[in-house]
Amino acid sequence: MNRFIVGGLAAIAVSLLAGTANAETLRIALHGQAGIDAFAPTAARIEANLGVDVEIVEYPAPDGEYLTKLLTELAAGNGPDLFSIPSAAGVADMVAAGYLAPVGADLAAWPPYADFVDVAKKLAVSPDGETYVMPYILGIQQIYFRRDVLEAAGISTEQPKTWAELLDRAKEIKEKTGAYGLLFPAGTSWGGGAFDEGFSHLIIGSSTPQLVTDDGKFDLNSQGVRDVFQFYKDLIDADLMPVDPLLGPEPWVIPKYEMFPAGELAATTCGSWCYIFDWGRESRNPIPDVINAVGTWADPGQEGGEFVLANLGAPWAVNAKAANLELAKKALLETGSIENQIETATRIGNIPASNAVQADPRFQALTELVPIQAAANNGTYLKQANGMSVVSDGVARATEALLRKEVDAAGAQAILVDHVRQTLGDEAVK
Amino acid sequence: MVTDAFQKRKERQLLWLLLPALLPILILTIYPAVYAIYLSMTNEALTGVAAAKPRFLGVANYLRLFSDGRFWNSLFVTVVFVVGSAIIGQFVLGFISAVALRRKVVGAPVFGAAILLPNAAPEVVAGFMWISMLAGGEYSTLSRIMMALGLPWVDWLNTFPLFMVVMVNTWRGIGTAMILLTAGLAAVPAEVYEAARMDGANPRQTFMRITLPLMAPTIFLYMLISTVSTISVFGLVYALTRGGPGNKTEVISVYIYNQSFTAFQIGYGAAGAVVALVVTLALGIGYVRSLKVQV
Repeated sequence: MNRFIVGGLAAIAVSLLAGTANAETLRIALHGQAGIDAFAPTAARIEANLGVDVEIVEYPAPDGEYLTKLLTELAAGNGPDLFSIPSAAGVADMVAAGYLAPVGADLAAWPPYADFVDVAKKLAVSPDGETYVMPYILGIQQIYFRRDVLEAAGISTEQPKTWAELLDRAKEIKEKTGAYGLLFPAGTSWGGGAFDEGFSHLIIGSSTPQLVTDDGKFDLNSQGVRDVFQFYKDLIDADLMPVDPLLGPEPWVIPKYEMFPAGELAATTCGSWCYIFDWGRESRNPIPDVINAVGTWADPGQEGGEFVLANLGAPWAVNAKAANLELAKKALLETGSIENQIETATRIGNIPASNAVQADPRFQALTELVPIQAAANNGTYLKQANGMSVVSDGVARATEALLRKEVDAAGAQAILVDHVRQTLGDEAVK
Repeated sequence: MVTDAFQKRKERQLLWLLLPALLPILILTIYPAVYAIYLSMTNEALTGVAAAKPRFLGVANYLRLFSDGRFWNSLFVTVVFVVGSAIIGQFVLGFISAVALRRKVVGAPVFGAAILLPNAAPEVVAGFMWISMLAGGEYSTLSRIMMALGLPWVDWLNTFPLFMVVMVNTWRGIGTAMILLTAGLAAVPAEVYEAARMDGANPRQTFMRITLPLMAPTIFLYMLISTVSTISVFGLVYALTRGGPGNKTEVISVYIYNQSFTAFQIGYGAAGAVVALVVTLALGIGYVRSLKVQV
């Protein structure tokens, strides 16, 4: 009998020891199944290389809800040790809130960082000059159009040179095919996407291409902002953009996953991930031969010029209040590994930030992404500042009013300016 | 003298006896409410400089709130939502169900169970279930049924958003209304009906002169409970529409959530919550005064 008891106790002890093989546990927040799948090998590497247990905490999948939960936990002081930030527009504000640990020195001392493209490094620097995030992948965005639909209707697939040409092309698509000609994400339901995937595409090519002045104020009363809203209004008034789905609870589902694959929407802003995640091999509604069926245009400038929008794709950051800060920073470096960049590119379709991937056969197999990665350094981006997430929210509100045809361009601009003034104070706006 | 000491000891004992109940109320209800009032006078935020260094703003959030058209819109939507779903929809259908269930007809238990069933589904689950019924234009279940019948499909949540939200909340709350009103109906003495019948009262007169007046306390109690609980409905509306399209279904609870956890302005959201609390309190006091009961 005693032998049974001793044996049982020994088994329990062994299982407990096996369960806590490492002294420390690192809590890592992830969201979305594709992201969780992509990160699994990195989590295993962190455990093996750093001798810690990794606890993956699955958060709500939509970006907005993930960010809400993350910020709530960070504000309460019980956030995860390591987490990704879904919208780069939120980084500066999280820095200002004191949530992120500075990692500039760690990245500078990390040899692989030398291979990262300059645009990624610049995007990672916060307004205070310090780096707080690992810029391991980039979102390279352009306008994606149904080449097959346009060619079948005899519509030019050449790069539009100006906003006027882009608008004319959208009108021609509508007239000849009946499909919606162009989509820029808009409205409050789309959350940060109304700014990151919509408004940003136009403002970078406007007469006032930056929203932040040298003294850190927001230049929102500019002619460029007014002209961007006018472009939205022209699209909406001419029924060139599908408005009703944008006012629903999941505004991306119908236009991106149903209308575009069906050819009912002929052009939309999107990122490199669309070739894989939205309409490619990871899609539930793939477009056959997507690389040839779907082409890309750079964002035309208002009066000319071509712009490819670059931003950080869900950069990783370390909680300033992490239980073991040094350990969390070491884990952060693992998130920037070539393996994680390629795994993420494979699963989600973002562009690896390191030029070293070009020599890796696993990345060379991702034929859709190879040319985009090579050109990543030509990306244009918006200067960041504290309060950018408020501007992003203001843009969502302003474009929502445009979608509802409640205001003209000046009214939309007033909504944006008033929102930022009311939230950040009069002094925040130039 | 002896009586006074006894009385004081008795009061102290009562206080001790109440303490286990008072403490949770203080910690979980009173303290958060007072803290919300404090927050509403700051620019506290979930992110940005205000998250690290919140400033005291006084009544600035309230002034901003009262000049915010979206806030007034949310109050209007809330009134329509409460009147439409709780006061009209749930009450009328619940009352009809309660009266129907009192009659011993075949299938009454099944009918009762069917009415009660929606209460078993959590708010969010019910919301997602109705999304599949209503959202997606021609792809929604209801539209497919209409198309199968040769009728044109309807984009329900974009064409009639508030009506749809009212309808779904009505569907979900009929059971509660039915239970409360059934209890009220059972409390009306059978002798009164008997006397009315002997006096020659017709069914309409019996209902208007006996049932309704004697049910009045139950009806008011139901109105109080359902009004307060409907003002605070969040999960159902958020899951169904998130307040859209274009704020057309943004009830006050969703407005507060959007300000606090989508725009991350905790202080401003708290101001909205305090106003909602005052409105709810005023309605509650109004109902209680109408009932002429002492609380």
